[in-house]
Amino acid sequence: MSKGKNPIDRFEKLLTTRWLQILLGCLSIIAFVALWVLASMYLEESGSDKAVFLPGPRTVADAFFDSFESLPGLSDPAIGYRVTMWDLILSSMGRFLSGFFVAFMLAFPLGLLMGSLKTVESLGRPIVEIFRPIPPLAWVPIFVLIFGAFWGPAGIVFLGAFFPILINVIFGVKSVDVTLIDAARTLGAKRSDIFLKVVVPATVPYLMTGVKIGLGVAWMCIVAAEFIGIQGGTGLGYWLSLSSMTYGLYPYTYAAMIMIAILSTLTTGLAGLLEQRFYKWSGMK
Amino acid sequence: MQKKLMILAVIVVAIVVIASVAAVFLMRDNGGDENVVYYTTMAPSLMDSWLAENQTSAYIAWEPYASSALVAGTGRALLWTNEIMPHHPCCVVLGWTPFIESDLGGNVTGVNMTLRFLKAHIEATEWVNDALADKHSVEYNQLVDMAVGFTLRNASVVEEAFNHVSYGYEMNASFESALTQFTEMYIASNIVTNATLNLLGYDNSTEFVGDYVNDSYLAATTGIVPSPTILNPDDPIRLGYLAGDLHQMAQVVAMNKTSFGGTSLFEKYGLNVAKLTAFASGPAEMLAFKAGSVDIGYLGAPPAIQKRLNDRTDTVILAQANSEGSALIVSKNSDVHELKDLVGKTVATPGEGSIQHLLLKIALSREGIAFIKG
Repeated sequence: MSKGKNPIDRFEKLLTTRWLQILLGCLSIIAFVALWVLASMYLEESGSDKAVFLPGPRTVADAFFDSFESLPGLSDPAIGYRVTMWDLILSSMGRFLSGFFVAFMLAFPLGLLMGSLKTVESLGRPIVEIFRPIPPLAWVPIFVLIFGAFWGPAGIVFLGAFFPILINVIFGVKSVDVTLIDAARTLGAKRSDIFLKVVVPATVPYLMTGVKIGLGVAWMCIVAAEFIGIQGGTGLGYWLSLSSMTYGLYPYTYAAMIMIAILSTLTTGLAGLLEQRFYKWSGMK
Repeated sequence: MQKKLMILAVIVVAIVVIASVAAVFLMRDNGGDENVVYYTTMAPSLMDSWLAENQTSAYIAWEPYASSALVAGTGRALLWTNEIMPHHPCCVVLGWTPFIESDLGGNVTGVNMTLRFLKAHIEATEWVNDALADKHSVEYNQLVDMAVGFTLRNASVVEEAFNHVSYGYEMNASFESALTQFTEMYIASNIVTNATLNLLGYDNSTEFVGDYVNDSYLAATTGIVPSPTILNPDDPIRLGYLAGDLHQMAQVVAMNKTSFGGTSLFEKYGLNVAKLTAFASGPAEMLAFKAGSVDIGYLGAPPAIQKRLNDRTDTVILAQANSEGSALIVSKNSDVHELKDLVGKTVATPGEGSIQHLLLKIALSREGIAFIKG
């Protein structure tokens, strides 16, 4: 234990553990980019007809930055009308956040109820088990037709996020340490107090796990749901399909994929940050 | 304390969500309806019913879907596409280069099969034009029957639609210059870049179109005579076409056996032709070409150009199938009487890559109106 206190030892520790990790991390990214460059160059040089589908990193980077200036096909330079990546992000985020918000607001309380009340669980379980196995994407055509361009894809996001949150919260409620509840009861806590001050806080880590899983699923959902853009709105999924299938502007397709990765990382990261905050504040970790 | 924090967190999340959603809607509204016409894309067969239900204010489609609303009395034509660009090219016959260059031994070569295919295409096109010239002929009735079967619209719709399509196979200078104009438009809107042209070995769009349009096959069909045997019994030509597109009647006629004494025109010239499942759009058919699952296909010239360049789909334009024959349809009682009246409204198109979409975009652009996804 004395090792950590000496600055030289600490540096040595950083060098042998963290530094190596950082180095390996960098190496892996460099190797990935190098492989990407080689693969796209190989396809191009060998005259493969698949070459257009794998543009090099440089081309993709150019398309990525160009996307924030103007998206070809959606913009009309002849009359100075511009559509950019920001428009796509706004479109997708609006649907994403709406769907996720509704899922959270319903799944969390419902999970608490189902976890703590046997009657509610007996009522809810069968319904949940009927609908949970249906992949959210299976609902895309119906949802888009019924709920339209905004709430259709948002509804798919809702389905994608709802079940992971619900299931995790139910599990969380059931995992609450019985001794904690007994202790609270011994100290004279009322049922409502036990629920609000013992059960609910103890469920939060499980809730956050559900939220993080739900966020990941929700991003998959929004992209696929926007593929079917029968009516209304753009969005990243719409552009993914349009730029590749219709226009053959593959660098822009990859640029949109990178943007989705960034947004997904941001939202999951934000959830992780909230979780850490909660742990720190509640003294769990 | 914990409860308060939870509530606070929920409120913060709620505000963020509501603000973002509001922002999205506000931004859309502020986008200004002043100089914008919105579009949505769908299969042409759905368009007349969407218009009848007022879910869209107009649609632009190939025949017979343009005429179906006219005959039903629910719509009227605001604009025919030949008013946007007279004699504009439309559908073409496209060959997959690896197919044309293929050699199955003997005289079963891709070139021989292509020439025979084109011969049947020419004969079918001439047959269509002859049938249309005399509306009391047996052939005319046969043509209408075939069209009804292919498009799933009734005879009166099909007959009206035939009035608006001109069929022809020859590729003249104005055909090439129109394709050059399309290519230039794609370059101007950054859908295609000059770098792509250069990469494929062309200095400019004229040079590209000159190479892409290859009329030497059409010229070489004069030597083709009917064949008593089928050249390719085990390797049918895989034929691509668009769903219910009346512009592509030549392939419907050439496939038909009953009207030609039990032998189709393709068979007359010794060809075994297998129709693929209909494609929903030109870009979709071009993807199938790219994947190597179509040998010869009928589709609009614009997606063929765009995908030849951006996807480098190895194809060549062999013949024309038709020109003109699409229209912008609005509700009969609609207050839309000119293009400008469409501002702020939604038009259905067959897809961003289609010629109908492109021509409408040209027409709106001339009025200074943007055509954007609604």
